[in-house]
Formats: sequence, C-alpha cells, structure tokens
Amino acid sequence: MLEIDGISKRYGTTVAVQDLSFDVRAGELFGFVGRNGAGKTTTMRIVLGVLAADAGDVRWAGRPLDLAARRRIGYMPEERGLYPKMRLVEQLAYLGELHGMTGSEARASAVRWLERFGLKDRASDDVQALSLGNQQRVQLAAALVFGPDVLVLDEPFAGLDPVAVDVMAEVLRERADAGVPVIFSSHELELVERLCDRVGIVDRGRMVACGTVGELRAGGQERRWIDIPEAPDDWDAGVAGIRLVQTDGTRRLFELDPGVDDQALLQAGLTTGPVRAFERVEPTLGEIFRTVIEGAAA
Amino acid sequence: MNARFSGLGGTRGLPTVFLVARREVRMRLRSRVFVGGTVVMAGLVVIGIVAASFLAGRTNPVRVGFSGGSQALEPTFTASAAALGASVTVSEIADVNAGKAQITAGTLDVLVIGTSTAPTAVAKDSVPSNVQSALSLAAEAARLSSAGLSPAEVRSAMSLVPIQLLAPTTPKDTQNLLASLALGILLWIALGQYGNLVAQGVVEEKATRIMEILLATIPPSRLLAGKIIGIGLVGLLQLGIVGAAALISVHVTNVAAIPALGVASILGDIVWFLLGFLLYATAYAAVASLVSRHEEVQSAVGPISILQIAGYLLMYVSLPNPDGPLATICSMLPPFAPILMPVRMAATDVPPWEIGLAAALTIASIGGLTWLAGRMYSNAAMRIGARVRFMDAFHG
Repeated sequence: MLEIDGISKRYGTTVAVQDLSFDVRAGELFGFVGRNGAGKTTTMRIVLGVLAADAGDVRWAGRPLDLAARRRIGYMPEERGLYPKMRLVEQLAYLGELHGMTGSEARASAVRWLERFGLKDRASDDVQALSLGNQQRVQLAAALVFGPDVLVLDEPFAGLDPVAVDVMAEVLRERADAGVPVIFSSHELELVERLCDRVGIVDRGRMVACGTVGELRAGGQERRWIDIPEAPDDWDAGVAGIRLVQTDGTRRLFELDPGVDDQALLQAGLTTGPVRAFERVEPTLGEIFRTVIEGAAA
Repeated sequence: MNARFSGLGGTRGLPTVFLVARREVRMRLRSRVFVGGTVVMAGLVVIGIVAASFLAGRTNPVRVGFSGGSQALEPTFTASAAALGASVTVSEIADVNAGKAQITAGTLDVLVIGTSTAPTAVAKDSVPSNVQSALSLAAEAARLSSAGLSPAEVRSAMSLVPIQLLAPTTPKDTQNLLASLALGILLWIALGQYGNLVAQGVVEEKATRIMEILLATIPPSRLLAGKIIGIGLVGLLQLGIVGAAALISVHVTNVAAIPALGVASILGDIVWFLLGFLLYATAYAAVASLVSRHEEVQSAVGPISILQIAGYLLMYVSLPNPDGPLATICSMLPPFAPILMPVRMAATDVPPWEIGLAAALTIASIGGLTWLAGRMYSNAAMRIGARVRFMDAFHG
C-alpha cells in the first residue's frame, strides 16, 4: 500500500498542497481529479521525490519511501520528456537499466512494450520522428519498461486518440490487476469514473473527497427525473426541500435536500396529473465533482 | 529528503553513473558533429605540421659531396660539423660537372671542389653557416698539417673555445616554443569545446523535459558526474586521435625532434587536460544548470568564457618569457594553470614545486566547484522555464 500522509508544500506564500492524505492499495486504480493548479502535480512530484515536501510522509509497504523504493515507481510526468535524438528501443532500454535492470532484460522489455503499443516497426527511429500521440505511448512505455511496483501517471490520457485511450486504459487496468497500485490524474471525468476503483478530489491543495464513486455519490444529493405532461408550470412550488436543476420538455430534474423523501415529490406530482415517468438518477462523477468543489468553496 | 542523495547503484544492473556516462559516450560518438569535428581537427593539425616542415626547410641533413683532392677533408669535416651541431651526410663525387648537375637538380646541397688546403664550396643559392664553418675548420686543419704539425698538434690548435655559462637559461629551442604554443592552443580549444559540450549537455535534460523522469530515478549529483565523465572521455578520445595524427605527421615529415612531443610530456599534457577539463566542466555545468533552453547557454557561460580568453591572452604574453614573474604566478593560479603550466613546462624547465602547487590548487578548486555545481544543479534542476538566479540556486 502506498500511503500519502499529511503532506504540505508551499511556494513562497502560495500553498500548493496542505495536509493532504490518501492511500492507494495494491491492485487499485486511483483517479486523482481536481481543477488546474489544485495540487495534483505537486503531490505526484512529492511522491516521486522530485520535490521535497515541507511536511508529511510518503510510505510504501509501511516504510518511508527512499531512493531504492522510488526507483521501483513508474512515473509519467506532466511535462513529457524523452531524449529526442535517441532511438526508441535504446531510450527505453536505458531507462530500464537506470531502474536497475540488466542490459539484456531492459532491451527485451523495451521491445515487448513497443510491440504492445504498436511501435515495433519504429523501434530504430529517433523519438523526434514520432507524432505527439506516439511519443506519449513511448512515454508510458518508459514508465512501464522496468516492471514497476507502483505507477504514478500525471495526465496519461491527455492528447490521445480514442484508440490510444483504450490501449492505455487496458494497460493500466491490467497492471492494477497484477497487484500494482496505480495513481493517475485526469480531467476526463467520464474515463475516471469508468476506470477507477477509487477517486480522490483535490481542491486548492486539500483532499476534499476520497472514495469509490459509489461512496462519493452517497455523500452527494439525490436527484429525480419526473415527467407530468399535463401539470401546470408551478405544480412543484409547494414541495419543500427540492430544487429544480434542469428542464427537458415536460421533464424536470429535481435535486432533493438530504433527508427529503422522494415519495413526497411523487405524491405532489400525482395530485396535478398522471406521472408518466419517475426516475432516480445517479450523479455522474462530473456532477459530484462540481458539487464537491462548490461545497468546498462555500 | 536526504534519501535522494544517498542511493545505491543498480540493484542488479550497472551503477547509474556508469550508465549515464556510457549513454553520453555512445550518443556523441554516433553524432556527425563528433565524427566530422575529429576529422577536421586531425586534418588541420596534419596540414599545419606538413606546412611547417616545408616552411622550416632545412631540417633534413645537409648533403655534402666532395670531389677530387678535397676528399681528404671528409673525416675532419664530419668531426667539425658534429662539434658545431650541423647535421650532414657526406658522399664522394667523382666528376665535378656531374656534381654541379646534382646541385642544380636538388639531389645534393653542397659540392666541395679544389684541393684539401684550398677548397671551394659550390651550392645552388646558399650554404648553411654551420656547414661553412665546419668546412673552414677542416681546411684550416689541412693547411696546418701540410705546414708540418703532427695530428695531435693540429687537434690542439683547432680545438674549439670552451664556453662557461654562469647563469644558463636552458632555453629549449624555438621549435619547442612553437610546439608549446601549438599545445597551448590545442588545450585551450579543447577545454572550451568540451566545456561547452558539458554546458549544452546539462541543459539538454531540462530543455527536453526528461529531467523529471531522471531525477525520480537517480540523484542529480550522479547525473552530473556521469555526464562530465562521459563527455570527458569523448574529449580525451578526440584529443587522442588528433594527438596521434600530430605525432605521426611529425615523425613522417621529420619536421623536428621535439622534446615537447615525447611520451612523458604527452602523459603530462593528458593529466593537465583532465584537470583543466574537470575544472572548466564543473564550472560550465554549474552555470548551465541555471537555464532551461539551449539558446540561453551562451550568455550563461559568458563569465567563464571571459576567464578562458584571459588565459589565452596570458599564454601569448608569458610565452616569450616563460620564467618571468607574470608567467610564473599565472601558471599556478587555477583558472589559468591547466593551460599555462603545460605550456611553460614545454617551453622551459619549471621547478617541480611550482608544478605541484599548480596541480594542488587546481585539484582543490575542482573539489570546491564540484560541491558548488552539485548544489546548484540539484536546486535548479527542477526549475524549468525562467532563468534561475545564482543565489537562488545556491541557497535552494
């Protein structure tokens, strides 16, 4: 288990991360979401030891993360970077060796990952000859080449075409299933919702929500679609504890305050005319995200 | 976060410093810049030496032919020439006209005709003065012995005046001076070139943004050390190739038997190159770590370039008087020692303590600069974008 325990980091007077804690268990895909500048990249850099925290600890398997343990982390930084004039296979093999593989292991693994990402034919090309999307695949291969114990990926899906997104998602799922804790940040909330076992929402340097999407939903507010084609416009005026979120023709979406019984809404509707539809909707991660961020700002 | 600086090498693989150095060597040996640069440098050196051998002219032995009665002068002429330091080969020419034809054709330099007591030297345009003196001495001896002196009396009459020097300057000759100037220029170019390569190499990781991946794997001090070692080895290889080309062309053209190009001197020069390289490379690395783009490197390394140019000028100023106070003091000061000291050592006999002091001061400076460069590099490594101020990099 990778534990991030109360880390803080400030740049001058700017607080980048404030007392932030979460953990990622073996075999878990952890999605890290937040607005730009919320502190995701800073957190990841601290985990990798590229940046020193002002306070707090990062532990792996119960022990503070030292250089030897950090070398077992596969990292894809937000700022992508590879040697532009180095051949793909050499570059990956070099990074493999830097992470402690022998020369022949590193080379074999480099070839295997290039094959997996469909870049086998380009193995002898320089990185600079590749398209940006392909460079990104190589960047992920660079994080994977040495068989890491932990994966930390900053925006791995940014700038990928849909096919590449599928390959990338498949690889991450597969690594997690092999017992590797995987953290990645993304603004693609649908993707995070579909892919991740747990999600952490960070805002202005603090973790404002953390758990499975289901758990986050449970903390959020209930919503109901209701369709009463013959009802007058103001039929819902007398119902307490509800708020109109959206209108779609004669359909209306209400958000229920905590503790409000949805049957009260249904009954109020029935008194105005026949109810053609009454539907419980699960908020998407995007909706949860907005609610949580607004709540944190309030 | 001290753990970052106390890590191990590879768990099973090779040490990280070695891996970084090996990558530098491989990438550079493969680059066209290296291959082309080496060929051009070696070519220029060879052309320079061949040209020098033509310009210097008579370094080949002077070919002297004796005909008729003058042939009796041969043994005394050979002995006198040796005493005067003239390099000659002698031959016997049966026919005077044939000898003159050889002179015109350039296969003979001096033809001696006439009798042993009244010889005449025939040449195309000039007779080297020491050859003329040796010939005069031989003729003088012949006249004395024909006047009735015994060979022993002739020898004592003809003996050269012994010279006693009270304060010999032991100047190694002009050829040596030229050789040491050439050496100084070569060292100067090499230090500048490889120092700049290190500067560009240090910026490379920041410019290509690979720094972040690397720093998550290896401490900055190791990355820096590997880089400097790798580029240093490439530099040594390039200098070795150019040096070998120089030695071979000196040997083939026989331009001079230059002591400055002896094995011991060359080993000494290699040591000075390494010291100089480490000194300048760490300094270049420290300032280059402040910037993130290749375009900014030149302005960042400006102050070091100025020191280097000062060293170059000092070389010209101090060479005519390699034992003077300016040359003596400057050749012991670290920024200039790696260039001036080997130049002085080639030009004159430098007292061992001065060499030792120069080396010790240089090594101490390398130690201090390595600490400084490691600190600045670690602190500035992740600051990509705007140029980092020196004091920020120093304090972290």
